[in-house]
Amino acid sequence: MSPATKKRLSYFLISTIVLLVVGKFVYNSLQGNTVYFFSPTDLSNLSEKPNGLIRVGGLVKKNSIKEKQKNASYTFTITDLKNDTYVEYEGLLPNLFQEGKGAVIEGVLKDKKFLLAQKILAKHDENYMPPEVAEALKKSGNWNKNYDQ
Amino acid sequence: MTSNIGFISIVISCILSLFILILFFKHVLFGGPLHSKFFALYKASFFLIAASFVLLVISFIISDFSIVAVYENSHTDKPFFYKFAGTWGNHEGSMLLFILIISLYGYLFLLFSKQLNFSLRFTTIFFQTSLQFAFLLFLIFTSNPFEKIFPIPNQGLGLNPILQDPLLVLHPPFLYLGYVGFSLVFSLLLGGLICNYYNQSWAAIAKRWIFLPWTFLTFGIGLGSFWAYYELGWGGYWFWDPVENASLMPWIASTALIHSVLVMDKTKKLYNWTAILTILTFVLSLFGTFLVRSGILNSVHAFANDPERGLYILFIISLITFSALVIYILKSPKQTEGESGFVLFSREFSIVANNYLLIFALTVVTIGTTYPILLSVFTGESISVGPQYYNTILAPFVFIFLIVMAIGPYMKWSKNSFAVSKNKFIAFLISSLIVTILVSFLLKNQNFIFILGVLCSLYLIISVLYEFAYFKNIKLKQFNFARVFSHAGFGFLILAITLHYFFSKEFTAKIPLGESVTYKEFVIKFSNYFSKEDKNYQELTGEYEIQKNGEKIVLKPSIRRYSQPQQFTSETSIRGEWLSDMYIAMDYTSDTSDGIGIRFYHNYSIRLIWLSYILITIGGLLSFVRRKNEQ
Repeated sequence: MSPATKKRLSYFLISTIVLLVVGKFVYNSLQGNTVYFFSPTDLSNLSEKPNGLIRVGGLVKKNSIKEKQKNASYTFTITDLKNDTYVEYEGLLPNLFQEGKGAVIEGVLKDKKFLLAQKILAKHDENYMPPEVAEALKKSGNWNKNYDQ
Repeated sequence: MTSNIGFISIVISCILSLFILILFFKHVLFGGPLHSKFFALYKASFFLIAASFVLLVISFIISDFSIVAVYENSHTDKPFFYKFAGTWGNHEGSMLLFILIISLYGYLFLLFSKQLNFSLRFTTIFFQTSLQFAFLLFLIFTSNPFEKIFPIPNQGLGLNPILQDPLLVLHPPFLYLGYVGFSLVFSLLLGGLICNYYNQSWAAIAKRWIFLPWTFLTFGIGLGSFWAYYELGWGGYWFWDPVENASLMPWIASTALIHSVLVMDKTKKLYNWTAILTILTFVLSLFGTFLVRSGILNSVHAFANDPERGLYILFIISLITFSALVIYILKSPKQTEGESGFVLFSREFSIVANNYLLIFALTVVTIGTTYPILLSVFTGESISVGPQYYNTILAPFVFIFLIVMAIGPYMKWSKNSFAVSKNKFIAFLISSLIVTILVSFLLKNQNFIFILGVLCSLYLIISVLYEFAYFKNIKLKQFNFARVFSHAGFGFLILAITLHYFFSKEFTAKIPLGESVTYKEFVIKFSNYFSKEDKNYQELTGEYEIQKNGEKIVLKPSIRRYSQPQQFTSETSIRGEWLSDMYIAMDYTSDTSDGIGIRFYHNYSIRLIWLSYILITIGGLLSFVRRKNEQ
């Protein structure tokens, strides 16, 4: 091998190794920080309960928001009008979180019907329907044109 | 009436643009002189777009509800200021602003390029016109801002209250002046390639047209961050949200571009790399528009949108990218004029190294932003990527980046100059180490990442300060203030982010009237509340007494209930000090008898973050001060 070829080959090898290591690093971090989304129906169809952080979205069921004691902890039900998920949330409900409106909740599942929430995703706009929620309602066959604004 | 004139001037401008394209093709394909009115026609198309934009603004101000966009986004009760800003608070108006800015940059280019090569000038205008034409068609056929409604409603639906903020008047126009501004350097590149004028003097011309939108974009992102912190009551300045990332991606790409075009200007290297970065920057800007406008994202910033328009924008982006790549491949500079290869530890070597790091950061942000979209398109699974993904991956690379940023400017072009400055580098290291150790003990934090973050950012800051302190050795007129300011700004930014990340605290509680809660060193007492009525909202203001180490302050956050449309917003109350902020946002409760919920934040070094945004922006502005050693 000529010196020039050797040099090029070593550049190639070094950059390949660096790329692989960095790629693996990015991949792991992406896996570790991915939050999957489920509708209440998706959850009830699961054979195994997912571990780690997930998001559940749907409509906030009418008359389901209840305050527990006085420590700003709430329970409510998220529904896609076919299946329900119960949510317990310690913290304050955002301004745009209202019964009958769409919401996305992030948290950890305790069992398939029960979510311990860590975060409620609040939106900018009162007419806005999170795309995942719209999808969940379409899947459960309960999509109503009135939601589509 | 105004709506008719507005629409007609858009259509005429579109026809003029088509005519300009035809004139260009006629000249190129059949020879003969270029039509003498070629540039005049372009100017006319610009003035028509500007006129229709002014008409739209007027329609908003006079509340002309015969126009759908006005009806849906305005209300007679709204203060004048927000009627005005409402013009770009909606899809149609903001697309018109988008086109106006494409056209404005073309117009500015015509004004400031009189001494340039004639064929480069008209080819650039040709490409700028093509962009303008494509988006005018999009506007006319899918989102006509002057669309009428009949019967004419008496009252409008009102503007989303969250957007009723003075900063809204500034934030979107600056963002657009930023990323739409990259269209000009994109056209200039294609023009340069076609006219075989893509060389060192191209880089000297292009520099200005990269710095200008970059400065606007930096300022626009800063304003957005500031707005989120003060007005939206989210308690932070950056959330790694897809819509935020959409503006960050072109920023990273253009930052890399600024540096590579300098190398091209000084050393006649990196021709291909600069061309690719130019295309990438503009495509990412368009991609950002697509992400925000299409509504395919579930983002905290997402407004009600129309996905079909997204498809059109996606089509335009693909067409633009494809044509640009074809032109680049056919006309790419076969070899650069200078020698190939880089000298280790030369100025351009450090710039290339940092370009790689920037591209890496760009890749990370792009993957995090697009992976959820791709996954949902191909598998139907919905996911989102948490902020920790960005923080963990980017942190170690930012540290290396800071060090290279610090030592790079001490290198000479095309010469290994490590040995000459070695002692300085060691001195910087020792002084930054001492300060870091002090900081670490004073703040009682020995976390490894924290120490690294402080050390590396101080290293950069000290190296810049050193240069600043000893600038007497060089002539004032040759001193690169632009670099010094923006680099120092970036150093302060990372320092502030590190402090903020490790020390800020968040606490939520529901406090009944007259009672208090204790959180760490803070005692928060809900002492009083009162309500008032304003023109377009009702407001409930709470008074909170905060005691910290014997010191007492009062914060007065409030909740507003807007009437048109009905919506609640939280107005934050912030007590800013040099090092930290105390920040309270109230949450809405229908029944106040058992107390009102608050979110309390103790945020560190937020002011330093704003200061660093300003420094970086000033750096961008100073690049327009011509230095003596520049041509």
